[in-house]
Amino acid sequence: MQERIAEYRRIAVFGGVYSNALALEAMLADARGRDVEAVFCLGDMGGFGPHPDRVFPLLRATGVLAIQGNYDESLAQGKTDCGCGYTDPRDNHFARISYEYTFARTSTENKRWLGGLPARRRLRLGTRRVLMSHGSPRVINEFLWESATPTGLLKRFLREGEADVLLCTHTGIKWHRALPDGTHAVNVGVIGRPENDGSSNVWYTVLTAGPDLSVEFIPVHYEYETLARQMEQEGLPPEFTETVRTGWWTTCLENLPSKERSRGKF
Amino acid sequence: MIGPMSLPVINWTAPPADAPRAPFLRLSTLWIQITGTWCNLECVHCINASGPGDPWLKPIRPEVARRAIREAEDLGVKEIYFTGGEPFLHAEMLALLRDALEVAPTTVLTNGTLIDEAMADALAALARRASYSLEIRVSLDDTDPGTNDRVRGAGSFSRAMAAIVRLNDRGLLPIVTATEIASAEHAGEGMYERFRDFLIARGIEKPRVKIMPVFALGRLGQEGDPRLTEADLTGFDRGLLQCSESRVVGDGGVYACPILAGLPGARLSQAGLKESFADAPLYHPACVTCVQTGMTCKNG
Repeated sequence: MQERIAEYRRIAVFGGVYSNALALEAMLADARGRDVEAVFCLGDMGGFGPHPDRVFPLLRATGVLAIQGNYDESLAQGKTDCGCGYTDPRDNHFARISYEYTFARTSTENKRWLGGLPARRRLRLGTRRVLMSHGSPRVINEFLWESATPTGLLKRFLREGEADVLLCTHTGIKWHRALPDGTHAVNVGVIGRPENDGSSNVWYTVLTAGPDLSVEFIPVHYEYETLARQMEQEGLPPEFTETVRTGWWTTCLENLPSKERSRGKF
Repeated sequence: MIGPMSLPVINWTAPPADAPRAPFLRLSTLWIQITGTWCNLECVHCINASGPGDPWLKPIRPEVARRAIREAEDLGVKEIYFTGGEPFLHAEMLALLRDALEVAPTTVLTNGTLIDEAMADALAALARRASYSLEIRVSLDDTDPGTNDRVRGAGSFSRAMAAIVRLNDRGLLPIVTATEIASAEHAGEGMYERFRDFLIARGIEKPRVKIMPVFALGRLGQEGDPRLTEADLTGFDRGLLQCSESRVVGDGGVYACPILAGLPGARLSQAGLKESFADAPLYHPACVTCVQTGMTCKNG
């Protein structure tokens, strides 16, 4: 039987909540004012931020349609690490602190909810077929950075995924590429952590159907100082709160390709 | 230990019939063995016994590299790497690098000794024009010049460091790649932290460090080194091995992984890339290191 695919005209999409309930609340309020028909989350609800259980009531109450990220998969399956795919010891040191904190404070019920999320979603935006994944359509924790994702690979993902638009997250930095054949790839960014540009705001994406697909990156300003103080009270590393306050990444840097790394402070 | 003009010790022409195999999942990484085993250094631990003499594995012609790049683009490759020997000995290295960067993010594994001011300028210009990232991986085996030079040859430390600084000054953010060959001399110290602190102290504000294990092949290969059996791989996900998603174009054909490039036992095709998309035999002692350490030759 053919899968029934919902059709929309205008949607909001975000990734990487990273336990940032304050940014999630601000983002959802912003999206409500933009006439979107549905709101989608591309996964990674936990990690980095404080009080992981605070994001779940917001996601459920507002009917956010989510897929599973690698962090969600790890929490749901009781894995020993977040599966972010870091390779160097410093990144893994901070990733471990974050994962152990989040694992211990995410309720069994919420872990079960994460475990029930689908790996991918399909929908239509007008006539365009949209495929949503967390990392890449083939690997949940594959990093698709703007400067390290060949157009030839995107064409392959779109062809094999039978899609005209690919949406992903996982890296933490947004980008959009319109391919010569009229298809699109969009990394929708994350709302849990600023994107290493020296600004404290975070980002989500609004997509609108039309003769030309409209892709708008929307900045979200939220009470980041309150978040930083909550993180301090929870004993999370000062390197994390520095990122919240300054907008510069201090950890998880080694996977950045040279172009993205050179734009940051560290 | 063997001489620079000899074949590596472990060089069976055909893998044993009972060798375990790794599945081919996808072509994520194309390696171009551009200079074969032709190098201006002669490191004691070199995985393919490269050196300045007549190379046992020849450099490849530019058209072979270009054909591979085009084919890899059509196959949806994610990354391209140039290795050798020393890639910057190849007369067309910069032109090939430009071609590769039009297709995918591209990395060069180099000893850094040929990156003078003019070469650093040329690389910086290439990187600026490219949409994809250019990564230069410079090998350095210890933060102590004397220790490094005992492994890599007299004067290699200062020349590599000069290259690292030149690239860094131009915003290229080189990845310093070190093997664990000299780590025994620093018992108790974290190797990654030692390199990172060393680079920061020399003004490298965004230090990038990759640590590699030492492999039992090339000049360190021994007859009788252990090999993998099916029993060793019980419960192990073979899809994690880099030969499940990498292929290497070098003299003589397409090989399963950059560690074994040039060895007939690791050759999967004498034609194009697509013809090499088959299970790879895990027949070599180096495969033991990959399984045990989970290492990859990729940047991350």
